[in-house]
Amino acid sequence: MVLTMRQHFSVFKDESKLDINYIPSHLPHRDAQLNLLNQFFRSVIETPGKTAQRVLITGKIGTGKTVLSQHFGLQVTREAREKGANLHYVHINCRECKGSFFMILHQVISKFHPNFPRRGYSAAEILQMLIQVLDDKNIFIILVLDELDALIHNEGSDPLYNLSRIQEGRLNVPQRLSLICILRETEYLDILDSSTRSTLQRNIISLEEYSKSQIRDILNDRVSIAFRQGTVSSSVIDFTAELASSEGGNARYAIELLWRAGKYADSLQLPMVSPENVRAAAASVYPVVRKDDVFSLGLHEKLFLLGVARYFKQTGLAYVSMGDAEEAYAIVCEEFGQKRLQHTQLWKYVKDLAASGIIETKPSGTGQRGQTTIISLPKVPAEDLERELTKFLSAMRRQ
Amino acid sequence: MAIEEVLSSKGRVKILKILANIGELNISDIARRAGLNYTVTNRHLLALEHSGLILHKKFGRIRIYRYNENNPKAEMVRKLVDLWEQTK
Repeated sequence: MVLTMRQHFSVFKDESKLDINYIPSHLPHRDAQLNLLNQFFRSVIETPGKTAQRVLITGKIGTGKTVLSQHFGLQVTREAREKGANLHYVHINCRECKGSFFMILHQVISKFHPNFPRRGYSAAEILQMLIQVLDDKNIFIILVLDELDALIHNEGSDPLYNLSRIQEGRLNVPQRLSLICILRETEYLDILDSSTRSTLQRNIISLEEYSKSQIRDILNDRVSIAFRQGTVSSSVIDFTAELASSEGGNARYAIELLWRAGKYADSLQLPMVSPENVRAAAASVYPVVRKDDVFSLGLHEKLFLLGVARYFKQTGLAYVSMGDAEEAYAIVCEEFGQKRLQHTQLWKYVKDLAASGIIETKPSGTGQRGQTTIISLPKVPAEDLERELTKFLSAMRRQ
Repeated sequence: MAIEEVLSSKGRVKILKILANIGELNISDIARRAGLNYTVTNRHLLALEHSGLILHKKFGRIRIYRYNENNPKAEMVRKLVDLWEQTK
């Protein structure tokens, strides 16, 4: 018997474009910073060896620090190759090296001598060896220390001091080592000695958190290259962007959320990604809403939540207006034989639910007639919520 | 050094094979891969270097050996090892 694999439709065109290591050809909303980085390193690219540069990039998680640097790295190596300069971009993640200066330097030297021995010498020795290797092969490098927090946390100020001073003792020789330090928490700079701190802080690029509309632009870019056309609607992108901006403007989270939502859509063999998939993805990434939280709510809060959950489940939409939610709540009340509460009391419950993070509310804004409150269910799939609440409320009714 | 002296030693041929495969290595690593002790490896390396087939580069206390690209004999030996390995 011949077994045939069923061909499933996938919403993805190219999943790898959503991978954390993918470097997009265009960085939305980071042009200014990329230009600045190019300006800082202009002399290093134009006349390698004449000067060395040190730049610090800071910003919160998911603000594009790493991708900015890697994007610059691709540009700079291409440009250097065209100019015939032997300039290399070496990106090292200090956390992956367990914050060990020795391991960081070993990784750098391994790029040029792949089987360089791992043991038998100190960090100071390997730093000297690195400079020797660069001299021997006539190489210039831009060394990027990503997640520098780990290195400073582990070894304090000395590694950066040594790196920035190694060339000072070498007179009349080319400056071979430039530095880009990527740091999340600027408080770590306080640990450094004042001279190292001042050299690093001279050229600093701070990345602000992405706003909701900026995340939307990033997602639009990625959706167009990673998903099949028409499989991700603009409301899904809006919804994902909103979730990510509430997580501190974290673009990485937004992209991961979209990837997971796509995976959920694929597993359910849906033709397109639905807001429900995004909710399921959000719940699987950060299980913020626990069952206990839901069960400790009052009766009418549960009934309201069940109404909202059913609304989302039936319509497949991402947002519901307060009026529609109230209608859905009224139907649920009827089903469970409860007298419905009036708007003012219910409104108080909605505010409580929003404060506890189970639902999210925002004013309707432009594009809709009148003023209303828009409710969304960001962190838990409507289907799961509906199932649990129905189970619980039915059991209560039987008592 | 005569060719029969270079190729008659199992240890030396092993070292030539390792360097042909890996490119460049330090002594301890060569010794470990060849299954020889440090002193013997060192002696073979000195002999091979004396014959001009390989050369070393010093990084602090570390010596890293590789084929001598400037020596046509070394290139021929390397090709011979490669061919031998491919058609094994």
